[in-house]
Parts: sequence; structure tokens; C-alpha cells
Amino acid sequence: MAQTVNAPTLPPPPLSAGALGWARENLFGSRLSGALTLVSAAAIAVGLWFSLAWIFFSADWEVIVKLGGRFVIGQYNAETSCPGQNCFWRPQAGLLMATALLGVFWAITASVSVKRAAFAVALTSAAFAFLPYSLNEMGWDVRLLLLANVPALGAGWAIGRHTPLNTPSRAIIASVGAFLLTLLLLRGGFLGLEPVVVEKWGGLMLNILLALTGIVFSFPLGVGLALGRRSNLPVLKLLCVFFIEVMRGMPLITLLFMSQVLVPLAFPENFPLNSVTRAAIVIILFSAAYMAENVRGGLQSLHPGQAQASRALGLAAWQTTLFISLPQAIRNVIPALANQFIALFKDTSLVYIIAMLDIVQIGRAFIQGNTEYLLHARELFIFIAVVFWVFTYAMSYFSKRLETHLGVGQR
Amino acid sequence: MAQAPRVLTYQGIPVWRHVVIIQWTLQIVSAVLVVALVAWFFSNIANAIQDRNIPYGFDFLSRQYQTPIGEHFIPYEPSDTFGYALFVAATNTAIVAVVGVALATALGIAVGVARLSSNWLVARIAGAYVEFFRNVPLLIQLLFWFYIVLSLPPTRNTHVLFGRAYINNAGVSIPWPLPTGGGDLYSGGLAALAPYLWLASAAIAVAAGFVVHRILTRREIETGRASYPIISGTAAAVLIGAVGWVALMIVNGDAPFAISTPAPQGAFGRIAGGFTVRAGLFVLLIGLVIYTAAFIAEIVRAGIQSVRKGQLEAARALGLSPIGVLRLVTFPQALRVIVPPLISQCLNLTKNSSLGGAIGYSELTSVTITMTQTAPAISLFILIMASYLAMSLAWSLAGNLYNWRIGFKGA
Repeated sequence: MAQTVNAPTLPPPPLSAGALGWARENLFGSRLSGALTLVSAAAIAVGLWFSLAWIFFSADWEVIVKLGGRFVIGQYNAETSCPGQNCFWRPQAGLLMATALLGVFWAITASVSVKRAAFAVALTSAAFAFLPYSLNEMGWDVRLLLLANVPALGAGWAIGRHTPLNTPSRAIIASVGAFLLTLLLLRGGFLGLEPVVVEKWGGLMLNILLALTGIVFSFPLGVGLALGRRSNLPVLKLLCVFFIEVMRGMPLITLLFMSQVLVPLAFPENFPLNSVTRAAIVIILFSAAYMAENVRGGLQSLHPGQAQASRALGLAAWQTTLFISLPQAIRNVIPALANQFIALFKDTSLVYIIAMLDIVQIGRAFIQGNTEYLLHARELFIFIAVVFWVFTYAMSYFSKRLETHLGVGQR
Repeated sequence: MAQAPRVLTYQGIPVWRHVVIIQWTLQIVSAVLVVALVAWFFSNIANAIQDRNIPYGFDFLSRQYQTPIGEHFIPYEPSDTFGYALFVAATNTAIVAVVGVALATALGIAVGVARLSSNWLVARIAGAYVEFFRNVPLLIQLLFWFYIVLSLPPTRNTHVLFGRAYINNAGVSIPWPLPTGGGDLYSGGLAALAPYLWLASAAIAVAAGFVVHRILTRREIETGRASYPIISGTAAAVLIGAVGWVALMIVNGDAPFAISTPAPQGAFGRIAGGFTVRAGLFVLLIGLVIYTAAFIAEIVRAGIQSVRKGQLEAARALGLSPIGVLRLVTFPQALRVIVPPLISQCLNLTKNSSLGGAIGYSELTSVTITMTQTAPAISLFILIMASYLAMSLAWSLAGNLYNWRIGFKGA
């Protein structure tokens, strides 16, 4: 009887598996691909060599050290805006509340990405306490309040776990409350707190506050406009279309400038509307118009059968819109909405046109005022660009997580 | 006793639940509210005009502007009128828009294709480009480039590139073909007309090239024999253009165009000759192109990914080269997905050019802002709104015409 022996399993050819195989397929797949790899690898090597040499040897990062806390709060703590008091603790209290709320959300959602964000915020804030400034430049109170972000995160987590503040809707209400409380604190003028006029708010704080206000208000407004544009009521539709198209047709910067020149005319003299509020309103209206177009896209992507089925089940028109159409429509356009939020955050840098000192303008004003730093403006703007990038990248990361979580494209 | 049957009579829907009535009440109420709000604004503006002597009206358009405009591509003197100055500013914006869109589209397509490259390294580089430049505010990028250009040496010790081009803090100068002869167009005779005559012959040459290409393509499709349409078309165009050039040279004794090389002149080394892109325009174009290309790259990527895989496999199976697949199969289909969002990027670039004021380029918004010091803001606002609206409409019209041309025809 012939005996059959399995041939020994040979290892794969050395060039088709492992790192070599991967490189052969992805880097040297064809002659053109190989050439491209060599050229771009050389370009990266040269680029890295020069940028690292520049970053560590030729660049002078002193301008960033010099500006320090002004990046974060602008002129808020200056003697002219907050005389006789140390006001740095007020924005820091806002930060502590934000960290604690992140802890609450972490406990409630048990989501990995929220946990990461919470830890990132708390640990980065705490790390700033160890900056090598002298005690004169950065007091122990500032450092302690920065370090307090870590216990605040723990406290928030405990609150979310063990107190009635344990459902998403309650946490959202608490967040809105904390946001309003922060605004009140920053404004001051009660309990012996020196009032700080809104025009003196600045730095990254101003960018974040404007962006948050913009997101919170422009989203519902945008949804309303989108519904109005899709409704079959001619007058309502016409109004919405007109508003959306006019807003989308103009650059934000023009609108912002005109909000300072024209809007005061449209209100009675002495109407209590300061320039920051006007700017915030313009940003909200502008963003809402774009938001409306995104939501409209989502509504159009729905199969009409959804609404018909819902009506057939006896839901009223408003119930159909609120519980059937909108949730699906908004889920479908999460990436577009996230991009809109990112654009909104980036657009807050345009408030320079109304003489507000946001983070970009703080840097620019510093360079213009201290011309000896003119050659180091690039270090400054690279730093500000990276700060913005961290925030916007975090936003797009979260939108991707949310998309996966809600199963977009899988249902 | 038999109970009398209850007769149900249909009373009709109560008035307050009648759909038509609800809808029309809603519409009338919202229309009245909007009209009332607008009327209130207008009455306030009217009051302000009366009480505070705010100027209004369009008489200023024929007054002398008396302010220089930093950069202009059509002749402008400070003694020209406001109306003409606005037109000059609008041409400045339009030039940035057209050149910027052309460059950004080219770069965006290249990056978008590179992002889908099978070469791992190339795809990663393109991805990093998109992720970074898309997520950093345009203003920061513009300021970064602005200070880079500002830190270049002044014209008197300018950088020299390849011995023929110059780059300094006033801008970039490159060799450029300029018409020879010169002189007055009406009295200068053939010498002055020659450049224009050659441009006309070049236009005829290009048109002839297209006709040849079309005829040969049709023949190739009908007969199946290779007729080399691209090579023949190009050859025809070059031939006709060269014949025109030589003919003009023989008749006129001089070439219609000559390359003009820039050269520093005088004590301050002002660069004369060639073609100079001044610093403001240079910075604005770099910033806008790099920023917008990141968005266009994403649009192109989405468009290419929307083409079904079977299409590519079929094209490869028919023996097309990878470049041929991209050019003849992928791209024509992807264009249908790409063009609509591309139009909105063109609009965005046009509107974003309003940031030029921050880096010293005199575009529409910055000129208008300067004008508000000596002219009525209300009228200026109406004019600037109309100008941007006109530019948006122009882009939409051009884009939609193109979209219609490449769309599915017939069935």
C-alpha cells in the first residue's frame, strides 16, 4: 500500500509576507510606485532634518513663553480690566466645572472616548501647573487651581455614579447651567466680584466661549430653518430661503464688520447690546444658515416611506418630524454637522475685525507692538495653529466615534 | 321598547383644528412678526438718520475717493470716483477668486488622487496635508505666510532664484513674455498690432487643434484604427501657432512677444521688467490655495470612491492603462459627484478672499471698510452685498452649466 505523506508546509516566499512583503506590496508595488516612495521618502527625510534642526536650534520660542497665560485669557486679568483683584481664578473655575462635567459624562456613558477626553483635559490642565515660570509670573493659587482639575475629574465621576445627576438629560441641563454660571462669573459685578466688561475677555477663552454659544444656539435655529425651507407653507418657505441664501452669500467678516457699524443703527440709541453680543449673534445666524443646508440634505436623504409609515401609524405631523424624520436626518449628516462645528470654531478667529483680542489677535498685536520679535512671528503662529489643530482634530475624532456608535452606514 | 338609534352627524372639523386654517394662521403670524421686526429696524434706522445726521444715499458714488488703493490691475488714480474705486476693489477680489480657484483645483485634485494612491507613503503624506491644513483657521495660515514674506530681505538685497527670478519682501518677480513693439494701438501700425494678431492666431490654433482632435477621435471610434487624436491635435495647434509667429516675424521684422527678464534698478533695487506678483496677492494666493485645496482633495477623494469598483475592473480588463482608467473611466463618472460641492468651494474661496485685508491686500471688503469712514455705511453694505451675490451667482451659473454638460444625458 502506498503511503501518503503530507508535503511539509513551506514558509511563504520571503518577499511576500511579513514586513518585507508589506513593503513590497505597499511601497514598491510597481516601478512608478517605487520611484514615488523613494522621492517622497527623500523629501520627508530632508524636510524632517531641516524642521527638527529649526525647531531645536534656530527657532526661538521665547515669544510663546513671554505671552504665556495671555494666550488663554487675553487681557482678562490685566489691571485695566480687573482692577485691584486677582481675577484669574474665574476662568479657572469655569475650567474646573468643565472637567467635573466631563467626569459626570464619563460615569454616565461609560464610553472610552469620553473617558479619554476627560483625562486629556484634566491631565493637560494639571500639567500646566508645572510650567517653569517664577512664582511672581504664575502664582501658587494659579498652580493649585490647575492641579485641582484632577480631583475635579474624580469628583465629577463620583457625582455621576452616586447622585441623582446620573442621566444624560440631567447632565446636559447641568452643563447648560455650568456654562451660564461661567458666563456670570466671568462677567462679575456681584458678591464683591469686580465686573469685567465683555470687551476685555480674550484669548482662547473667547474663542471657546464664542464657539460654544454658536454651537448651542445655531443648531436648533438651523434645524428650524431647514424644516421651514422644506415645508409646504409658501410664506414660511420664502422667508427661510431668503434668510439662508443672504447669509450664505456674504463673507462672515463683512457681516461681523457691518454688525458693528449698521446693527447699532437698527436699534434705538442706548439699547443694551455690546459688541461681543452682536458678534455672537452674527456668528449664530451665519452658522445657522449653513447648518440648515446640512440638515436639509439629511432630510432629503430620507425615504418618503418613513414619514408615510409614521403618518399611517397615526402620529401627528409634528410627532413624525420630531421622532421619525429629524433623528434619522441628523444621524445621516453627522460628518457634515461636525465639519460645520469645526468651521464655526475656526471662524471665531475672525473677531479681529471688531477689535476683540482672541488668541490669534493677541499674538498679532504682540508682534506689532514688539517689532524685535518680527522674525519670530512664525514660531508664534505655528504654536497657535497647533493649539487650534488639537481642538479641531479632537472634534473630528469625536464625530467619527459618534458615527460608529450610532451605526451610520450600517443600518 | 326599541331604543331610538343614535344618529351620528358629521359636524365638520372644528375651526381651530382645521389644517388649512392652522397653516395659514401660522404663516400670517410669522410673516407679520418678520415684517414688524424689519419695520422696527427701518424706523430705528430712519430715526438715526434724522436725529444723528447719519449720511445715506448713493450720491457719494460719483464723488472723488481721494484714497490710494494698494494694488490694482486696472488703472486707478486717487482722483477717481468712489464707484470706480469699488469696481477696482471688486476686480481685485475677482482676480484672486479666479486664479485661486484654478490653482486650488489643480492642487486639490493632485492631493485627492494621491490620498487614494496604492503607495502607502504617498497616501499618508496626502492625508497629513489634508488633516492639518483643513483644521487650522485660514487667518492663522495667512498671517504665518505674511510674516514669512515680511522677513524676506528687502528689494535692495533680494534673493535670486536660478539667476533670473527674484523673491523679496515686496513680492515675486519672474521672467514673462511681454508684447514687443508697443506704441499706440491706433497709430503704431503693424508693430503695435503684432502681439494681438499673434494672440488671435493662437486662439485659432487652439480651436483648430480641438477640431482635429474631435474628428480623429470620431474616426478612431468608427473605424477602430488608431488615429492618434491627442498627438495630431496638439501638432496642428503648435503648427498653426508657429506659422503665425514666423509670418509676423517676417512681415514685422521682430517677434510679437519677447521674454522680459526682471532686473533690479536704481539705488533701492526696485525690480523692473518681467512679471511681479506683489506680496499681498502672493501671500493671499498661497494661503487660499493651500487651505482650499485641502477641502477640494476630500471632495475629489469622495468622488473617486463613489465610482463602483466593477467599473475599474472592467476598464482594466479591457486593457486600459492605470492612467487611462483614471482619465477615461473614473474621472468622468467621479466628476458628477465632485462638481456640486466643488462649486460651493469656489464660493468659499471667493468669500474667504475677504481676509486679504488682514495681510494688506486691497480686496472688496477691506476697501469697503476703509470707505465707511467717508461714505454712508448703509449704502456700502447694500453695494457689497450685491457684489458678493453677483460673484456667487456667476460661480453657480458657470458651475451648473458645466455640471449640466457632464451630467447624464437622455434616458
